[in-house]
Amino acid sequence: MEFAANVTFSALVQQILVGLSRTTILFIVSSGLSLVLGVLRIPNVAHGSLYMIGAFLTYTVSNLFGHTLAGFFIALLIAPLGVALISFLVERCLFCHLYEREHLMLLLFTFAFTLVFGDMVKLIWGSDYRSLTVPAFLQGSFSIQGFPFPRYNLFLLIVGPLVALGLWLLTNHTKIGKIARAAAVDREMVGAVGINVSWVFAAVFVIGCYLAGLGGALVAPTQNITQGMDHSIIIEAFLIVIIGGLGNIWGALLGALIFGLTDSIGILIWPQFAIVFPYVAVVVVLFFRPRGILKSTW
Amino acid sequence: MKKAIWFSLALVLVFSPMVNSAQAAKAIKIGIVDCYSGPPATYTNDVRDAFKLEVDKINATGGILGRKIDFTTRDSKFKVDIGLSAAKELIYRENVDILMGTINSALALAISDLVKKEKIPFFATFSKSAKITGEKGHRYVFSITENTALAGKAGAAGLAKRPFKKYWIAGDDYEYGHALADGVWTNLKQLRPDVELLGQSWWKVGEPDFTPYITAILSAKPDAVIIATGGRDCVPFLKAAKATGFNERVPFFMHTATELSTLKPLGLDGPEGVIGTSNYFFYFPESDANKQFVADFKKAYNREPAVGAVYGLLTAKFIAQAYQKAGKVNTNAFINAVEDLTVDSPIGTVTMRACDHQATLPMFMGVTKKVAGYDFLTATDIVTIPGSEVMPSCEEIAASRK
Repeated sequence: MEFAANVTFSALVQQILVGLSRTTILFIVSSGLSLVLGVLRIPNVAHGSLYMIGAFLTYTVSNLFGHTLAGFFIALLIAPLGVALISFLVERCLFCHLYEREHLMLLLFTFAFTLVFGDMVKLIWGSDYRSLTVPAFLQGSFSIQGFPFPRYNLFLLIVGPLVALGLWLLTNHTKIGKIARAAAVDREMVGAVGINVSWVFAAVFVIGCYLAGLGGALVAPTQNITQGMDHSIIIEAFLIVIIGGLGNIWGALLGALIFGLTDSIGILIWPQFAIVFPYVAVVVVLFFRPRGILKSTW
Repeated sequence: MKKAIWFSLALVLVFSPMVNSAQAAKAIKIGIVDCYSGPPATYTNDVRDAFKLEVDKINATGGILGRKIDFTTRDSKFKVDIGLSAAKELIYRENVDILMGTINSALALAISDLVKKEKIPFFATFSKSAKITGEKGHRYVFSITENTALAGKAGAAGLAKRPFKKYWIAGDDYEYGHALADGVWTNLKQLRPDVELLGQSWWKVGEPDFTPYITAILSAKPDAVIIATGGRDCVPFLKAAKATGFNERVPFFMHTATELSTLKPLGLDGPEGVIGTSNYFFYFPESDANKQFVADFKKAYNREPAVGAVYGLLTAKFIAQAYQKAGKVNTNAFINAVEDLTVDSPIGTVTMRACDHQATLPMFMGVTKKVAGYDFLTATDIVTIPGSEVMPSCEEIAASRK
């Protein structure tokens, strides 16, 4: 238990790599949350539930194809789209009538959805633990200077930057991205110039929820797919969004990096008290930057 | 005329509850409070289902002492306040004769306090806190499951026979994890004074990714690792162990690793060579009693019984046979009858010890392995550790209750 007893250079590199792959999941989920927060101003507590549904859908679709490599990638494609479809229906039928309400109302409303989605998952999939097998190609691990590094984590390290790139292209180089950014700053003005804000909001909400589903799909093979996985992620995602700056996607990236890396390095340096490291990091950040590291859209 | 109608109406009103209660008194009422929502349900459903199976069997043959057994369940949602008010409701409104249930130790202890006042027998079916029948034990509480002290002792007994010296401890950062780890370590230290603890890591319950913990443990190079984790964290830990090849690099002991609820979801991807302990496997012991039980359970529910099923079955058997032995439905006579009662079960005869009301259950230590015929890993090389070897002595119990 001595402080930093086992820290060697190669162990540290290893922990950073593992931490970065965790960061990928955290970034994907919290960027979606941040997008919805920034543009729609909805603190979507049900974001974690959509992440859970994404994981369950991945499990089901992947099993339909019988654990083949193609089946797994089809599941990675379909499951987040399924989540996006659910969120589209929810947005068009319910949320779009509530944008003018105060945040507390919206918070309660999305909280109600966590309960509804939670029970829905219980009805459909039951309470047994589920475990998804990755295709043989992604099983096992590489050895980096004597330490194992799971192949699947390497896959996550590739996916993470791709998603970040996609988000950057979307927000900076597409019309809808530009409108969304404008709407985040001043939604009345965007409406006043003749843009149908309602449909922009719907699109952004669906993209944000798609990211929750994608996070759930990517995490499915490494986790126990079970009820309750929504609670743990939503707390972390909100913390990340808050330290990054509400509504700022790149803030979510920074926040995820801080959270993921302090977690994995803390585990190496002081394993007995590792749990507190990311939370201490959050406190330190908020102490110096109470409104988050990057500019908040709120 | 009008008067007569009113009078007869009043008569009906006065007497109808009596008729009802006279009918209700014929059945023996049992209330089950347990968590049926969220991750724990995968364990608690088996307790309830096996209990129901046995109760149906008893009722089909005329019940006990000519009375049927009637039971109702309440969902605690894993919350102490909800579970406790459900227990009160079952006692005061449903007038249950016996309470049972809870996978949540904090709730079990709260209900235990309640039944002590209300003088209702309570059977804890899945709570692993040693306090239930240890320092917080009393006349009205019984435990039908192993606990952290027993599992710790059994784990230590198994590990002491192996050549490991340098250990690392890792687990869930809450009462169960710490109590289990302490149980294994203090007993192991007594059996093998030369063992050495290199370090510990503790994670939060529901930890999403165990890979960084595993790589950090590997960098300390221990001979063996004690994993004190339970419930839903077992599956992702074993997944991370498999992905990193942890099980091939360092042997590790994880109490519930070999349980069906843990190994079945993993399919053939579970890691081999993990040492685990459990009160029951549907494939062990290979006795006729167990084969019959598995066949009955499978016929009724279309799945294999996990360890919880044995707890449910044992509770039903203890209740039925104690009433039979007492010869009347009376709480005091019932409790006297349960004490030192021995019942047959798929895991052999089980005795309810009189001094602490703890069922003397055998513990099976095995190693995970792929075996032909199953599409998930099973425990092999199973060593039976008899309950009598791991139970604390009655003197130790008496001392802890002072």
